[in-house]
Amino acid sequence: MITLNRACTRARAHRQVTTRRWLSQSRLDRLAEPVQFYISTSRDPYLNLSIEHYLLQNSAPESTILFLYVNRPSIIIGRNQNPWLEVNLALLNPVSNDTPETEPPGPGIVDLVRRRSGGGTVFHDEGNVNWTVICPPKEFTRDKHAEMVVRALRSCGIERSRVNERHDIVLDQGTRGADTELEDTHVTPYTRQAAGVRPLKVSGSAYKLTRQRALHHGTCLLASPNLHIIPDYLHSPAKPYITARGVESVSSPVGNIMLANERYIDAIRVKFAEMYPATNPIEHVEVGEDWLDLDPVRQGYEELKSRDWTFVQTPQFTISTKAEPSINLDMELTVRNGALSGGTLCRRNGEKILDLSEQLQGQRVQDVDSWSVTVSNMFEGIATAEARTLAAWLDTMLPVYGRHNSK
Amino acid sequence: MAAVIAGSGAAVAKLLQRPAQGLARCSRQQYLRLRAQHIQPAAARSFTAGRRGLEKKYTEDHEWIDISSPDSASIGISTYAAKALGDVVYVELPVVDTEVKKGDAIGAVESVKSASDIMTPVGGTILEVNSVLEDKPGTVNKSPEGDGWLAKIKVSDAAELEGLMDAEAYRAFTEEVDTK
Repeated sequence: MITLNRACTRARAHRQVTTRRWLSQSRLDRLAEPVQFYISTSRDPYLNLSIEHYLLQNSAPESTILFLYVNRPSIIIGRNQNPWLEVNLALLNPVSNDTPETEPPGPGIVDLVRRRSGGGTVFHDEGNVNWTVICPPKEFTRDKHAEMVVRALRSCGIERSRVNERHDIVLDQGTRGADTELEDTHVTPYTRQAAGVRPLKVSGSAYKLTRQRALHHGTCLLASPNLHIIPDYLHSPAKPYITARGVESVSSPVGNIMLANERYIDAIRVKFAEMYPATNPIEHVEVGEDWLDLDPVRQGYEELKSRDWTFVQTPQFTISTKAEPSINLDMELTVRNGALSGGTLCRRNGEKILDLSEQLQGQRVQDVDSWSVTVSNMFEGIATAEARTLAAWLDTMLPVYGRHNSK
Repeated sequence: MAAVIAGSGAAVAKLLQRPAQGLARCSRQQYLRLRAQHIQPAAARSFTAGRRGLEKKYTEDHEWIDISSPDSASIGISTYAAKALGDVVYVELPVVDTEVKKGDAIGAVESVKSASDIMTPVGGTILEVNSVLEDKPGTVNKSPEGDGWLAKIKVSDAAELEGLMDAEAYRAFTEEVDTK
């Protein structure tokens, strides 16, 4: 009896170990398959982007991958962008400020994420389904997979959709004109009539090109409840005062396609399969939090969440009060690698008062807890009233963000 | 940088057409003797070295390296690559003193919403980066194989330079890529 029990226990334990090993082995095998399709169960933008990066770095060089994911409300800035310039940081954390309730209600807490691909700033929420295609560089063009998405949308009856010259997907507005070629994904029956009426952007594209792989990902606004508030989040009060290197966003009016997530996902699945016929019909594989047990995914996740990646990665910029008539001083600060690297305080007539103190050189903007304390240290001997004015201005332009979060 | 090289090459060529004097600093007899020994006099050597393309070697990833001084070799992306990338709006350069292996990503270039990795053709240590590109990233498009150089590297293993393509081979390679 005892012998049998022990044998059973050992067999059960052995089976569990074998199953676990089999699962991870099959995950690795799958990365070698010529056509792969993944859908994420997670709403965490940091995790989804890390899984995406892992797929980019580890899938077989000749393979083609489709990855679909939805994020909780978040703002995703491009690799070489400036969060102080692109985003209204004060709005991002309603827990720690007194934003009045809006009607309809706002999105609650909104994450700020810097992605690894280029391009501009976009807003993600549950009404937006992101799509990624990873393929070999020799198969890559900037329009190829945006055209695939347009074919998917048109198969759902969205005949206003087309790819524009910026490789984004737009819905032409205005009245219907003559029929156009169905296969031409760059023009619709509404395009000619729409002169003067701007199309609505429903999907923005961005790319990451490595030695062996090409990644194209894009948003897709299906039914976002937050369209009315996106402009507020993506408008920074600091914009008139910042001169930045790096990449600025190109603003476009946006609109919802008004399609259910499931219908859209099915249409994409079909169009992807048409482009990349596999020996077996494409079944998607679910990915999610369990992928965090892969070291590279976890490391990428930690990096994307880090304040260093979000802020220190910012290209050099200067911020200046010159264009602010209500302030009687010219303060100019240079921020390099997210830290104060130089600054001057002058009278409006150009007469210099002070330089940025040596002590504050290298002060990371993201680490500032209080501008009133910091300004006094930045310009030693500055008059109290002037320090107060500048601190209040900096509180608005470079708001203290996330200093009290456990993130 | 490219214009300067071309200019000096043309000047030396004109001088060599006259009997060896002045720049060559040897008599015609000496020159003929040296030529018989298959030794190029200094002037002739700098002429061939000065022509654009002969000092550069290329990779299949469309990077170039100037091999004339492996202690401080300039690297960049080829004209072919710069055209394919489109207007460069931002260049991420490596940190000076970083040790890199052949094929490592040493920076990235952003153009048309794409972040494209730049790989180093050889292993070594980064000595210098082209800070002009911080303010004027478009220099990569205007002069990708000249003023638009990205970084200077101290080559650690000269043998790695052997496997790279010369200008002719690279031109043939890009034509093949285009017809695929």
